Amino acid sequence: MVHALSEIRRTLKPNGILIDLRPVLDRWQIEFASTRESRETGRMQDFPVGLADDEAANQSVAHAAQNGWFTREQDDFFSFTYSWDSPKEMEEWIEEEWEGFIGLDEETRQATRSAWALADADARVQVRVKMLITRWKVVAQTSKP
Amino acid sequence: MTIQSDPERNEKKYLHKLADFAQKRVLEIGCGEGRLTWQYAKETRSTVAIDLDADALRVATIDRPSDLESKVHFSLAKSEQLPFSKETFDIAVLAWSL
Repeated sequence: MVHALSEIRRTLKPNGILIDLRPVLDRWQIEFASTRESRETGRMQDFPVGLADDEAANQSVAHAAQNGWFTREQDDFFSFTYSWDSPKEMEEWIEEEWEGFIGLDEETRQATRSAWALADADARVQVRVKMLITRWKVVAQTSKP
Repeated sequence: MTIQSDPERNEKKYLHKLADFAQKRVLEIGCGEGRLTWQYAKETRSTVAIDLDADALRVATIDRPSDLESKVHFSLAKSEQLPFSKETFDIAVLAWSL
């Protein structure tokens, strides 16, 4: 990842901008939502592999900053929502797409199924993914005399 | 399976809050099927979007709106060895890929 950041810096113009947009694990919120109401039913479980990936990414950008390649200008968090028609579809997605990174404990699985079953007919199940977006500016390379 | 992603369009909102894409040369790393690319590419001068997944790039190329054909280009490349000259782009976007 550090080498990728070095390459990106090479291809950016002086004062160019790098936008780092990525999900970060933080026990993402699960909820059901209908037009009438929405309610949290539990949280995802973060697994060590996913947490290690986040840590590696953080270390890479820290390394790039320490090396004087980029300076952090601005960052922010926001939620990116995935929404399914039913808890079953959500569970299938988690197993297929996020296996090994995050998981669902049995209590949350049952709570989500029960809440959805009792909710209005238009209720959907959602996961709110925590997103980090950071703006980095290229530090101009000083030419040697 | 019916899945909706980002119905609140937060991703586009925050992307534009942190970067002005107007008439910029943009490199996107990890574009996949182009979901994020379509959020900003229209404003750019040009966009090069790379990924290591050839199938995803094929889908992105097929899905590319006709008005972006001359502006958006997809390429099979890895971020550790970018096939571009130095100081080519104004903005680079790491799309869920760091």
